[in-house]
Amino acid sequence: MNRSIPWLLLSLAVLLFGLGPAAAQQAEADPAAIVQKFGGKQSFDATEAVIAELAATGDERVARALRALREGDLYWREGDEAVFIATRKGSDYEIFDPLTGDSAGTVPSGDLQKVRVKNSIRNAVTGALGTLTLRAENPAQRMRAASTLFSDADPEMIGPLDAAIAAEEDSAVKARMQEARASAVLASDLPAADKAAAAKVLATRADRESLTMLIRFAGATDDPVAKQAADAAIVAIQNNIAFWNQTQNIWYGLSLGSVLLLAAIGLAITFGVMGVINMAHGEMVMLGAYTTFMVQELIRNNAPGLFEWSLTIALPLAFLVSGTVGLVMERGLIRFLYGRPLETLLATFGVSLILQQAVRTIFGPSNRQVGNPDWMSGAFDVGLMSVTWNRLWIIVFALVVFLALLAVLNRTPLGLQMRAVTQNRRMAAAMGIRTPWVDAMTFALGSGIAGIAGVALSQIDNVSPNLGQGYIIDSFMVVVFGGVGNLWGTLVGAMTLGIVNKFLEPYAGAVLGKIVVLVLIILFIQKRPRGLFAQKGRFVDA
Amino acid sequence: MILARFLGPRVWILIAAILAAAILVPLSNLALPADHPLHVPSYLVPLFGKYVCYALLALALDLVWGYCGILSLGHGAFFALGGYAMGMYLMRQIGARGVYGNPELPDFMVFLNWKELPWYWTGFDQFWFAALMVMLVPGLLAFVFGFFAFRSRVTGVYLSIITQAMTYALLLAFFRNDMGFGGNNGLTDFKDILGFSIQADATRAGLFAASCIALALGVLLVGWITRSKLGKLMIAVRDAESRTRFIGWRPEYVKLFAFTVSAVMAGIAGALYVPQVGIINPGEFSPVNSIEIVVWAAVGGRGTLIGPVIGALLVNYGKTVFTALAPEFWLFLLGGLFVFVTLLLPRGIVGTIDHGWDALRATRRAKEAEKGETAGTDVVPDPAE
Amino acid sequence: MVETKVAGKVADDVHALTTPQGSGGEPATPTVLQGIGGAGIAAVAAQPAMPREALSASQAPVDRTLENGHGEPVVSPHPYAAQMRERRLAIEAQGRARRDTLLYLNGVTKSFDGFKAINNLSLVIEKGEMRAIIGPNGAGKTTMMDIITGKTRPDKGEVYFSGDVDLTRHDEAAIASMGIGRKFQKPTVFESHTVEDNIRLSLSGPRSVLEALVHRKDEAERQRVEAILETTRLTDKRQIFAANLSHGQKQWLEIGMLLAQDPELLLVDEPVAGMTDAETEETARLLREIAATRSVVVVEHDMHFVRALGVKVTCLHEGSVLSEGTLDKVSADPKVIEVYLGR
Repeated sequence: MNRSIPWLLLSLAVLLFGLGPAAAQQAEADPAAIVQKFGGKQSFDATEAVIAELAATGDERVARALRALREGDLYWREGDEAVFIATRKGSDYEIFDPLTGDSAGTVPSGDLQKVRVKNSIRNAVTGALGTLTLRAENPAQRMRAASTLFSDADPEMIGPLDAAIAAEEDSAVKARMQEARASAVLASDLPAADKAAAAKVLATRADRESLTMLIRFAGATDDPVAKQAADAAIVAIQNNIAFWNQTQNIWYGLSLGSVLLLAAIGLAITFGVMGVINMAHGEMVMLGAYTTFMVQELIRNNAPGLFEWSLTIALPLAFLVSGTVGLVMERGLIRFLYGRPLETLLATFGVSLILQQAVRTIFGPSNRQVGNPDWMSGAFDVGLMSVTWNRLWIIVFALVVFLALLAVLNRTPLGLQMRAVTQNRRMAAAMGIRTPWVDAMTFALGSGIAGIAGVALSQIDNVSPNLGQGYIIDSFMVVVFGGVGNLWGTLVGAMTLGIVNKFLEPYAGAVLGKIVVLVLIILFIQKRPRGLFAQKGRFVDA
Repeated sequence: MILARFLGPRVWILIAAILAAAILVPLSNLALPADHPLHVPSYLVPLFGKYVCYALLALALDLVWGYCGILSLGHGAFFALGGYAMGMYLMRQIGARGVYGNPELPDFMVFLNWKELPWYWTGFDQFWFAALMVMLVPGLLAFVFGFFAFRSRVTGVYLSIITQAMTYALLLAFFRNDMGFGGNNGLTDFKDILGFSIQADATRAGLFAASCIALALGVLLVGWITRSKLGKLMIAVRDAESRTRFIGWRPEYVKLFAFTVSAVMAGIAGALYVPQVGIINPGEFSPVNSIEIVVWAAVGGRGTLIGPVIGALLVNYGKTVFTALAPEFWLFLLGGLFVFVTLLLPRGIVGTIDHGWDALRATRRAKEAEKGETAGTDVVPDPAE
Repeated sequence: MVETKVAGKVADDVHALTTPQGSGGEPATPTVLQGIGGAGIAAVAAQPAMPREALSASQAPVDRTLENGHGEPVVSPHPYAAQMRERRLAIEAQGRARRDTLLYLNGVTKSFDGFKAINNLSLVIEKGEMRAIIGPNGAGKTTMMDIITGKTRPDKGEVYFSGDVDLTRHDEAAIASMGIGRKFQKPTVFESHTVEDNIRLSLSGPRSVLEALVHRKDEAERQRVEAILETTRLTDKRQIFAANLSHGQKQWLEIGMLLAQDPELLLVDEPVAGMTDAETEETARLLREIAATRSVVVVEHDMHFVRALGVKVTCLHEGSVLSEGTLDKVSADPKVIEVYLGR
């Protein structure tokens, strides 16, 4: 019985912390076991020995137990001598695991005995806490310790922090330690000048946490010097946060803009350059997304090692699939409807219904899981803003596709023929260009690019038969807003709409923001029916 | 009288058929015993009523698309707005019979913890006010939207796309709970209309008859407009807009007139539709719904009076049949219909028949002329020419 | 012939404009031998050039005109009174000069993306005058018509109709209602309407939508339609859909539609393009008939047709007036020959 409880706790800790690290520590000194040595009647010397032993483990979790010991919150239970952190709850005590802080129920006050402390023990704890983590070998661990101390804002730790700062060589860790010290200073009863200096340190950190800390401090302090310094720091931090909020908005806007650009760029070719209203454009995007899904399925079943390459493999395939469907559409349908835009609109809408239903029949109506390769997942911080890798890659990808398309149009023979045909079909034909072939290729290119967009969009959107529908109106808006027949217009249009949308969202909410943008575009088209970058000249018939 | 001459016998047959349906369907449903072979079962009456509302909607679209050349992809919005206006009246008629028993507030408002009726719900407890709004709200939206669009000469597909954006924006707006129109669920659980239970057979028969009369009046109205000088002007605007401008007309006002009248018709269709199907929700604003209306008119034959009516009835009957047989098959069929009609039947059923008839007459006349020439006799000119 | 009425500033401008100007935009080497036959040019060029003085002579002494018309006594001995009076009289003089004209273009410029389609163009059409406008492709003929009819706004310059109506402030429909009719290069008629309906829709009268809705045909209207059908030789085609007319008949129908508008000024863009010789003859006769009661501006490439019209000719080049006068004088102008034939 005596032995079984610690083992139970241990297995609990193992479960909670994952097997890897816990298993490794078990081989060395196990902190969970050492903590239990506080149990039972101990001499102060024995207690101090246990403190040293705990500190030697280098495990951060023991800090909780040590701090509880110092505050007099560490207890052992009569009977099994198991050690807990306990807080009074009515006439009973609620007990917590000394390492994890997980609640372990309530016990009557009579069952618990306090682990006795005196000043020398407290000092020993403080010293141990300092060495425990701030002096750890691993800089990442020291960094974590500093971060924890920052949140704790424990005046007792100023001494150990000073020592650690003096010894620290890593400048990033050092800065973090100084911030931790500043937070501790604010909570201490040190002179106002020190606190003012601490406020300055916090102002350079300039995140939300230091802001709340400073606001709390400014509200509580009655020293004018410290208060003034704190207020100045608060303003500085608020400005900083506002700046990063704007930056974040722009970033989100660019991200949305790149999605719009991807969705619209194929349309800029088929609608903008050729003047074909392809209502099935969204379905070309959807086909690209489903191609990605198929590729990933095949890889998962046959060659799991290739998963990281799944998107790279899917790109050309998606281009081929959507491009082929586009080619068939152009040859089989659209070419009979040139010069009849409204009929083209209706016929291609019919095709979009058929494609949607076909995908729904084959793959089912529900969302399909398309995985993110490792390089597309995760995030990193820039200042106060978090940047996800998939968004970043999609922006890069959208720009690459855009530039590639620009190069195709301006630098290749096909591009030259395309421009010739769209500018003067009869003259181009007279010069020996096979205009029907160029039409078909142009349409296939635009559709293929929509397919490529589908690969990218599969990473951030639900892959379902309705995927394309969500983009078609936005895409048309982008192309019309940017100015038909102008790729740069599409780029500027997409980015503008993306950013405006994201700036409106905080005020209007996502849905209302979208409505406002739609209304703005409608009003804009009234004003400039030919879009932002309109083609001018007397030949353009308004 | 003048109309009689202008509309031609075919349209009068259509109107007579509609009015006959208005009398016979309710009569057979209410008066004949259930086992009588000519009895129309009660579940079919609102279904037929729905078709008739769709026919009126298609006719409204035909006025702008077939006659004026404006392909509106947002007519579903006018239909839905009319429907919502009627739905608001029906909600107010529920009174204290709702789940929460609040005499003033509809259930969804109680659920959202609203304390009082929003200002724009006032007056909708009166039928006359709701009826006015059924016409005024879509009409006003169309007027304002059209005023800006036509004045700045947004035409062709650009106009189509911004009308689609308009209905899309409304779709998003009506999905929001705080708009005060029931959000996602829309307005439903209606009880009474003008004091009659909405579930009662007699009420449904009455609504069906009302829909038929509205359709007949719609045909007359569109017939009158399109046969007037203004109607000819509409066709002129459709075919050569800048020419009308250079002879002094303002095509933007011609279009604005057609667009507004059409929106009001669509609103009325929506208002008659809602009590018969018992629900109105934001789905009615979806762009797909609006574009489906276009295919009804296209199948029947745009630019004719009877085409859209026939098209709406045929396509929707087909939809009912096929969604019952094989639901997933319907979208293939609808999509195919779009392709088929635009590619092979651009004039629609009625237009193709007319055209074939004209061509037949022309060849016969040519033959007669030839014969006449060889026989050396004078050709009697066709009186129609 | 009518030049004598052109007063003061306008004549100066016209004069200044007739001297060649270097202007940017389109390459100055006109490679097009449009419309004008080589032989025709040679024949025309052989004729002596009309002296430039003809234009200068038209500068009527402004002061005298004013004294005659405004010999009012000076009431106030205000120190600036004389100056102010002079300025007022000068403005009035210009207004008066303009008032006598039907169409008055002064210093009009319009550029598209840096290309000056119209470059400081000045042109005056008198009441009752018929004028032919020639010029190589890209000379700005169509843009000029666009500006007069309100389709295009000029970047700068004055455009006045019957003296005091600033056309740059009005749109197409308003300008059409004022009495300027325009025929396009490509015949545009309402193809799904009958000939008669085409004319009926064009008849001058109220242009309100609601009026059109309740409009009833009356006897006066029937007679006007009848008269126009007669003039344009389309009486027996009245029930035919315009789509089924021949090309020439469509052109006439369009002219008939202009007549139905009852305009003071007709702008006719290449009325005989694609017509047979007989049709061309007929069209010339039709236009002369129309010009008896209205002013007509004809843009045309066909020199035989222009000669058949027998009216004053203005040659446009790179958006400005290159030469003006009788056809013989214009076609003898070395600048015109250069523009048409190259150096």
